[in-house]
Amino acid sequence: MKRVVITGLGPVSNIGIGAAAFESGLRGGHTGISAITSFDTAGFPRTMAGEVRAFEPEPILRRLDTATWGRSSLFAAAAARLAVRDAGLRVDRVPPHRVGVVVGTTSGESKVTEEMGRRIVDHGFPALPGELAEQLPAGRLAAAVSEELGVTGESVTLATACSASNYALGYAYDLVANGDADVMLTGGADSVCRWAHAGFVRLGAVADKACAPFDRDRSGMITAEGGAMLVLESAEHARARGATPYAEVLGYGLNCDARHMVAPDAASIAECMRLAHRNAGVRPDDVDYICAHGTGTAANDATEAAALEDAFDGRVPPVSSIKSMLGHTMGAASAFGVMATALAIARGFLPPTINWSNPDPAMARLDPIPNHARPARVRVAQNNGFAFGGNNAIVLLGAVS
Amino acid sequence: MSALQIIGWGVTSPAGTDDQALVGALDRPPAPVEVTGRYDAPLPTPRAHALLDFDVRAELGRKGTSFFDRRTALTVVTCRRALADAGLQVSDANRHRIGVVLGTTAGSVRSSVDYAVDTFTQDPPYMVNPALFPNTVMNCAAGQSAIWFNLTGVNATLAGGRVAFLSVLRWCANSFRSRQADYLLAGAVEEFTPHTAWLSRHGRDDELPAGEGGAVFVLRPPGGTHLRGPDAEVLAVTLGFCPRGRDRAEALAGCLRGALDRCGVGGDRVRMAAIGGADDAAARATAWRAVESALGHSRVRRIAVDGAMGDNPTAGGALELATVLAAHRQDPRLDGQLSVLVAQNREGAVGAAVVRGWGRGSARG
Repeated sequence: MKRVVITGLGPVSNIGIGAAAFESGLRGGHTGISAITSFDTAGFPRTMAGEVRAFEPEPILRRLDTATWGRSSLFAAAAARLAVRDAGLRVDRVPPHRVGVVVGTTSGESKVTEEMGRRIVDHGFPALPGELAEQLPAGRLAAAVSEELGVTGESVTLATACSASNYALGYAYDLVANGDADVMLTGGADSVCRWAHAGFVRLGAVADKACAPFDRDRSGMITAEGGAMLVLESAEHARARGATPYAEVLGYGLNCDARHMVAPDAASIAECMRLAHRNAGVRPDDVDYICAHGTGTAANDATEAAALEDAFDGRVPPVSSIKSMLGHTMGAASAFGVMATALAIARGFLPPTINWSNPDPAMARLDPIPNHARPARVRVAQNNGFAFGGNNAIVLLGAVS
Repeated sequence: MSALQIIGWGVTSPAGTDDQALVGALDRPPAPVEVTGRYDAPLPTPRAHALLDFDVRAELGRKGTSFFDRRTALTVVTCRRALADAGLQVSDANRHRIGVVLGTTAGSVRSSVDYAVDTFTQDPPYMVNPALFPNTVMNCAAGQSAIWFNLTGVNATLAGGRVAFLSVLRWCANSFRSRQADYLLAGAVEEFTPHTAWLSRHGRDDELPAGEGGAVFVLRPPGGTHLRGPDAEVLAVTLGFCPRGRDRAEALAGCLRGALDRCGVGGDRVRMAAIGGADDAAARATAWRAVESALGHSRVRRIAVDGAMGDNPTAGGALELATVLAAHRQDPRLDGQLSVLVAQNREGAVGAAVVRGWGRGSARG
């Protein structure tokens, strides 16, 4: 087994596009939440989201014809281009079949789905334009990255909802560790859309103004979007080209609640943490920081806090939710979490949970790193991802030794 | 050493569910059925390979199924057939080591598009049905299957259209290699709705109507034994990508050569081949050219189910593998013979697998 390191970060996020801007957003505890502009919110009781308003694919992309790809595919491709640049990787100097792509997503090209719905209402089925059929398949997210980079290794889209980019990272890790690929581009992408926003609002899960995870007075999640891609490569490959890794991937764990499509299960999540620790060869006491799934809903907070208490036997390290800043970026969420975790290790700080005012007595011992980033030496860190369907995926990263 | 073993499988298809029906449909494909007026929207073709008699309540009962979308219902029923065929008993001792891995194109397109439609027709616009929201995520069928059979092992959904099923096999092979599971229910299943019919029509230059159904296989890691010898071994599965402007046939042939090389099989030994359907005549020709180029001969028996089961971009490959294994069960002279599967999607993803199959109760050698 080869050691696998993260050498490039490509965030297209509402708190910053590019590794430096994203890091400064995390350190400064910036918010990426604003009033929704991508669809008409008339009649919606919740109108805030984490749109990436500054996203312009053209200046970032070199090969893709942006007019023929959906927004989520463009997020993924642009994020991959930024990740490659951040890694200082000349993709054309790696044999193309040794570079693979794996992208996670919840709703794929959800804006295309939205447009299909609108057209069906306005003009009926037979008038649906072919471009929508062309752009709908979710496999296009990975294809967009492969096409943009001109690489010929496997190109896979994992659609395990909101933990999908932890799933993606786990698969990419295995391919590099086992020598199937030299370099993997891995991460996730999703777009803010009317119908998913409506679904979460209808579930009563959406916050009015701000997402305040682990706060007594939390009022829910905020829907958000973005693209988050990372460069993974073997430690020897990185060394040979003189790259400086952010962190090493130590391992991951996957399981399924198999109880309820929407409500998370604390015992199953705790078991997933134990699995991840075992696979990564770490003990709970080794973990210095946890990047929470942290959606900011009452159900997630209570379940995640209980699972952490269980898996860490009451000695839970500092835990923060970057969804307090970004909102819930769905299929990209775990990959943004991996980036925050990698930066925590590489730069020695703990990203904060912003919008935090009052401790929740139900999780009194939890340290949510309130409101301000904190300097810290992080050797081992954990990134949590949970999802509809009970798809739990947890990744462990470590300092590069 | 193979990548994985198949110890049982289940099919839900317009040609039927058992070996005899699947093999018979190759020579005598059932005609598509009249679908006009049976759905709540206009359809692109008057006839299609739809399962008009499929009734989830008759199959699974009322409890727990009332909010299933059609894709989920078809998937759970197909998983149940696969588990029964494999004789796999799920218990507290093994459920955490049994997972579900499914291929898709975009989930249940009807479920997500209907949700979008509701936001334009409801007043206020967010008055969508919360009970149907989980159906809009692409991992719904895999999650519901895990709940139905109480399987707490790895659970994944891979989107890739025609390449999704081979991506599933590849993901499963990796999962076994990294010792994450002891058994996996792996497959691809698609629903027929006006939405999938319309998606299938896009770009077609023939009259092939859309179909529905799919196949689920019970997989084991290579090497171990379970009750009896395996139904098949997937000796190798490889995936790749062909960027625009490159020779697609060469990319697909290269992917298949890679799979053959990996398991040390000469193309001359391969007897059956399947391409998982095609978007148009040119793609079909490209796929067969690639197969014959990689094998070095054109003597393979072509296994194509789209004539009998309709165009099923998501599950055509899975249905063809099931048909190959049905042929093995029907004819002991095929024992130990080799087949190849290839797949490509419009975007340029390619895949290939090499499979050795047996009938039930056959001697292995």
